[in-house]
Amino acid sequence: MEDTLNLDCHGEMLMQQYRELLPTLQKLSADAYAQLCKALEEQGIYVTAVEHRVKTERSLAGKLELKGGKYRSIDDITDLVGLRVITFYSDEVDKVAAIAKHLFDIDWQDSVDKRKLHQLDAFGYNSLHYICRLKTGGPRFELQMRTALQHVWSTMVHDTGYKGSVRIPNEYLRQFSRLAGMMELMDEEFSRLRLLLADYRRRIQSMEKSGRLEDVPLSADTFRHYLELHPFDRLNRRIAAINQAEVYPVSLMPFLSVLESFGLETIGQVQHFVEENTEDAYQLAVSQLAVTNLDILSSSTALQNLCLVHVLRNGKGREGVRAIFSMLNGESDMNDSLADMALEQAASLPFMQNSEKSV
Amino acid sequence: MKTTIEENGGVQVVTFEGRLDTAASAQTEKDLQSLDYESGQDIILDCSHLEYISSSGLRLFLGVLKNAKEKGIHVYIKGITDDVRSVFAMTGFINLFEFKQ
Repeated sequence: MEDTLNLDCHGEMLMQQYRELLPTLQKLSADAYAQLCKALEEQGIYVTAVEHRVKTERSLAGKLELKGGKYRSIDDITDLVGLRVITFYSDEVDKVAAIAKHLFDIDWQDSVDKRKLHQLDAFGYNSLHYICRLKTGGPRFELQMRTALQHVWSTMVHDTGYKGSVRIPNEYLRQFSRLAGMMELMDEEFSRLRLLLADYRRRIQSMEKSGRLEDVPLSADTFRHYLELHPFDRLNRRIAAINQAEVYPVSLMPFLSVLESFGLETIGQVQHFVEENTEDAYQLAVSQLAVTNLDILSSSTALQNLCLVHVLRNGKGREGVRAIFSMLNGESDMNDSLADMALEQAASLPFMQNSEKSV
Repeated sequence: MKTTIEENGGVQVVTFEGRLDTAASAQTEKDLQSLDYESGQDIILDCSHLEYISSSGLRLFLGVLKNAKEKGIHVYIKGITDDVRSVFAMTGFINLFEFKQ
């Protein structure tokens, strides 16, 4: 059964004003949301969510029943339209706020930064609230900006009935505060970690650009950057020239685990591996392709042959070749046939004679 | 060269029989147009009876893979012979497709 709300005359008058204003509020909600989303996209800020809503009649009635006397007219209620931006990181809340300042007229008197309201030894609701108006005028609306973790805390606290009719004992309130403190710490740690990672990436990129590849550890990030230098293009072009083939681009990232399995630890070592095996990898491609008229190759051909030559030169034989295909394509009986095939194609090449001598 | 497409247990199975060389690829390309990428059904390219594949054939396979990927559909190659496997390996495309026994 629905609760019956008792509004006095003043409350009823405000409700009537709300009903008349509703179409305007709905348009305002959609317009403000569209403007905000567009501005965030233009500034390259990716957020968890942007929400917007018009306060329902029931929610407003509840508010008026509790504190209707506080409002002289419907214009005094600033959250009839509400927008909420949920960011990933705490520093992004301030970026969104800067965008909002540009985009809307802010009513500073009624805006509040809840993050700054807490006592030094208290933790709780952390969110930045701006009371805004579109530059074109119209009713005010509320814009809440908070991080995903602040949002989780706030939503879960709300769900537990924190603001309900039953007074919550201090013991439990303290537990809510403890969780808020933990979330605040996590927010700061995530932001700090992101800064550290951004700084690390910049240092590695700078080392790559300056050619100090020996100092660059081999990782998914650095290998991706290394690939942007197109280190296998030259060999691919030579191989493609055997049959005037087209080179079909594919991702080379799956080869990272193969290179790591060779014990290569820096991009510099990968570069040496390329230089050391290039000629033999080309000769292997000639022995494979010259007797065919295949005129399309994947861009992984050069790197695949470099890897095959590397294991064969180092005396790893059939098992070594098989291991490469297993890392690239998963375990399968097919890898045995592929290994046999590669051994057969490489058998007469000079580097195989040297490798046999050295084993 | 014969290409048949049939649905089997919620999967589209394309069966190739014969030599997929340059001469045969035009007809095979037409046959492959019957694949339904909107259905969301995975595709199996059954190569158990495919004796040979040329560059034109590889391009057709790559075309199927590209169209399928755009719709989030998996493409599997099944029953590949040694000769055809050799072509996939030499060209590096062995690492691009998923294979089924």
